[in-house]
Amino acid sequence: MRRSKVLTLFMALALTAGCGGGGNASSGLPADQKQPASSGSSTGNGIRLGILGQCEGPFGGFHEDVVAGTTLALARFAGASPSSKTSALEGFSGAKVAGTPIELVGIGCGDDTADRIVQEVRRLVEQLGANVIIGPLSGDEGIAIAEYAKAHPDLTVLAGISGSQEQTLHVRAPNYFRFYGDGAIWNAGLGDLLHNKEGWETVAVIADDYSFGHTSAAGFIADFCAVGGKVTHRVFPPLGTTDYSSYIAQLPNPDEVDGYFWAVGGTGTQAALEAFVNGKGDLTGKQHAGNLFFNPDLAQALGTDIAGAYVGGFATLPSDVRTPEIEEYLAAADKTWESIPGALSGNKPAKPSVAAAFGFFYGYYTAGVALAEALEAVGGDITDVPAFHKAIAGLTLDLPYGDIKLDANRSGIVDVGLSRLVNESGKVVQQTVAIVPGVDQTFGGTFSPDTPSPGRDSPACAKRDLPWAGKAITVVNGVPQR
Amino acid sequence: MKLAFACLVFGLALLPAVATPFFVNFVMTQTLILGLAAATIVFLAKYGGMISLAQLLMVGIAGFMYGNAALDGGARGLNLGWHPWAAAGFAILVTTLVAFVLGAIASRSTGIYFLMLTLVYGVIGYFVFAQIVEISGPGGITSIQRPELLGPPVLLYYAGLLLSVAAYAGFRALGRTAFGLALQGVRDDPVRMASLGFNVPLHRALAFALAGFVAGLAGLLNVWWNGQIDPASISIGPTLILLIIAVIGGISSLKGAWLGAFVYVLVLTYLRDLPLVDRIGLTEARFNTVIGVIVLMIMVLSPEGLTGIVHKIRKQFGETRP
Amino acid sequence: MTPVVQVHDVTVAFGGLHALRGVDLDIAPGERLAIIGPNGAGKTTLFNVIAGDIAPTTGAVVIKGRDCTHRPSRHRPRLGLARTYQKARTFSGLTVCENIYLALAGHRGRHRTLWRSAADRRMRQEAAQVAGQVWLSGQLDVVAGELAHGQRRQLELAMAVAAQPDVMLLDEPASGLSRGERERLVELIESLDEQLTLLLIEHDMEVAFRVAQRVIVMADGRQVMAGSPDQVRADPHVHQIYLGTEGA
Repeated sequence: MRRSKVLTLFMALALTAGCGGGGNASSGLPADQKQPASSGSSTGNGIRLGILGQCEGPFGGFHEDVVAGTTLALARFAGASPSSKTSALEGFSGAKVAGTPIELVGIGCGDDTADRIVQEVRRLVEQLGANVIIGPLSGDEGIAIAEYAKAHPDLTVLAGISGSQEQTLHVRAPNYFRFYGDGAIWNAGLGDLLHNKEGWETVAVIADDYSFGHTSAAGFIADFCAVGGKVTHRVFPPLGTTDYSSYIAQLPNPDEVDGYFWAVGGTGTQAALEAFVNGKGDLTGKQHAGNLFFNPDLAQALGTDIAGAYVGGFATLPSDVRTPEIEEYLAAADKTWESIPGALSGNKPAKPSVAAAFGFFYGYYTAGVALAEALEAVGGDITDVPAFHKAIAGLTLDLPYGDIKLDANRSGIVDVGLSRLVNESGKVVQQTVAIVPGVDQTFGGTFSPDTPSPGRDSPACAKRDLPWAGKAITVVNGVPQR
Repeated sequence: MKLAFACLVFGLALLPAVATPFFVNFVMTQTLILGLAAATIVFLAKYGGMISLAQLLMVGIAGFMYGNAALDGGARGLNLGWHPWAAAGFAILVTTLVAFVLGAIASRSTGIYFLMLTLVYGVIGYFVFAQIVEISGPGGITSIQRPELLGPPVLLYYAGLLLSVAAYAGFRALGRTAFGLALQGVRDDPVRMASLGFNVPLHRALAFALAGFVAGLAGLLNVWWNGQIDPASISIGPTLILLIIAVIGGISSLKGAWLGAFVYVLVLTYLRDLPLVDRIGLTEARFNTVIGVIVLMIMVLSPEGLTGIVHKIRKQFGETRP
Repeated sequence: MTPVVQVHDVTVAFGGLHALRGVDLDIAPGERLAIIGPNGAGKTTLFNVIAGDIAPTTGAVVIKGRDCTHRPSRHRPRLGLARTYQKARTFSGLTVCENIYLALAGHRGRHRTLWRSAADRRMRQEAAQVAGQVWLSGQLDVVAGELAHGQRRQLELAMAVAAQPDVMLLDEPASGLSRGERERLVELIESLDEQLTLLLIEHDMEVAFRVAQRVIVMADGRQVMAGSPDQVRADPHVHQIYLGTEGA
């Protein structure tokens, strides 16, 4: 008889919570549906928006930034007003486009794992009834959410800033849209520049041994090889390595190769370069290039020798480029909040434009703009979901850091800004040197739905035509020379 | 007692008719899967005196094996393209064999050494899948479909319910068989068991394999439910979560495994929906802290977990009654 | 008649400590042999060597003509050997019936049956019968951990008896028993099959001398003397090393 109490309690809890979970249970077996009753168009004609961020894990600091990105877009183009002047996480109200209200039903909290983000999206969609999702933030999450979208065709997902290639190129969910580039795209044009302008024939690549490192290196390799360069070495230290000396030893000496490409992120960038100085001698900036993790702060530890190195792009352009559109965008951010505690300011309150100028905020911003413009395009009518998706796929967004439209797999065709670290009277700063227009995922055929994901051995080094080769727009003193 | 159990199962079977799809397909299905996996920890601890931290690894192995075998085409895993049920059988077979081998290696250690050894299994297992990308992705195996028979989500709930009931009843019945009694004998006094003629290490290894088999079933349900699995799914964090679930319910109570899983999923899902809960600092980012505090409170109040607390309450009531 | 148990020149050393120093022992079938001696004499070590819980450092153990020197203890029941322990080693989480059942299951090789069959039911009935033999019928469903000390010793004995062994090793069966319980113990031992070879360690001279046909005296890892109970009782040397205090 002892056990009966436990069991009864268990059952009572189960039933109470079950019935309390929502009052929309209907007759029959409501659970026996592929689509939850509350999602899609069945809850009326409004947009029920869920945002997937990360409040834990390596990118946990960007939670505020990404929610603010979408909020700013809706504040600018849907009349939303944030509930707080000092944080975006409090939500917003009053968003409406073409008569269709946009309600924020929840903010998902990821921890950089696919398992968790799938649970979070299920909570947003299946419990809270979201019919539009903006997010997620990181690479593996993007693949998982794209798969989820594929299984739930009535849902609409606008990716946040997740940079993996496969989420669009391989999964190809018809309701998953990405209005920014991927990890490979952000290094497009760099190889062209180094090979044709700096005369690099050979390069050694060193990249983190996980999906983003592979993807980032893949973009550079595809580009550099397409224009005729040769990759002599590929070295992949595990993520989180602290002593890089053994990996540096695997690299050729500076006189054996024309240059090095670094896709080592986080604290590893500096540690790896220091190990290089110890193992191979002083840095010669001109002999190095890196992805977005190469930033002027490295000079604090490594000295001004790093000046001369080329740096790949990200979703936004470096801060020296100031077009009227960018100024307007940053001013709008500052007008929307007094301050927000973004990741770049160490989660201390700072001017919103600090966060807005960085890619994490901006990726979620583009998604928000896409939502508003697509609603406009269908006249606020989302009852016809395929038509709504078609409208999104057909959008060309006029965005502050360059126009973006989607390719056949609904991934962004974007402009990539390349920059260089330069020594300005003893201080190393990042200077934009070129904007590569119209970069798409495929790199002229290097990547396709049938090619393996970027990895240690893929892609192979092959010469081929790139649509953007030789079309880079030079940037002088922050002004594109169109 | 049997009546109450039957009532509970009946109630759970009727649940999809009254509860929301989210509650059934998300909360309860997850509860049943986690409960099934945690029950293998309880089984080994209760009957064998072995606290294993390798059970989530078994869940993971089954998931990865199913993914590799069942997927056809695409960039991830081996893409063997087998029939789903063949893949499921293969996954269970591999998991059980691995569990037997690992169990045999660990069969001569007990107590804290066994715990540490199985922790090492968990960590090595994680790195095996994280580094041998041919079988784990790269970056995990996604787009895993469940067999057509289990197409509608509610059928997955029923599959979880069926396996949970079978595992619960099976483990309990096993405790009274020669195998189960011998396992308890091994727990109480391995030396005596040997002098009675039992092969103690083999017995431990077989028990570990059996637990691995059941954990493998939970692993199948898990990939069918989640649609994907990646190395992070079996890293040290989730490994400890599974142990915590067993501890919340009461490490020596089989039904406690499901109770613990239910509490865990409820907290994970609904805590942030409580009004004003974020005003006292309980945002979702602090979820692990909340779980930690719950575990601490339960450990202080009752070392036998929630089941122990319920027993205590029942006793109190029993005493005050005339 | 060939001895059922032969111990040849067995030495056991734990590091530098010699627990046994060259012990020779032949036990004839059906013999009742008691080993006595002061604490630390090596009696229990000798038991553990015969039962296979300890492998000897040198020497050999032959049971029924088979060399068992390095065979682990789990092979002994098949050779018809059963033992009890000085401190009752019962399974504290299981009932009296289940304890005896396990002794039967171990002997019959039903180790890994996953279901309860008719054979199972018969074994439980047998276990109940054996429990009756040691006056534990009333405690069949009591968990061993909750038994009184004397009852636990009875259970210990029952687990040895249950397998119907040819050779039984009893390690201080009377320790900690009351006078009445000792009487019952002797009764019980005397009621056992006459064919049974019995080897027992006993501190209680009364019990040892009543049950045994031959007594071996050990001290410091060696056999000091052997003889009939009367011979041993009369030996002044034995009095000196062992019975001295008690006999005074």
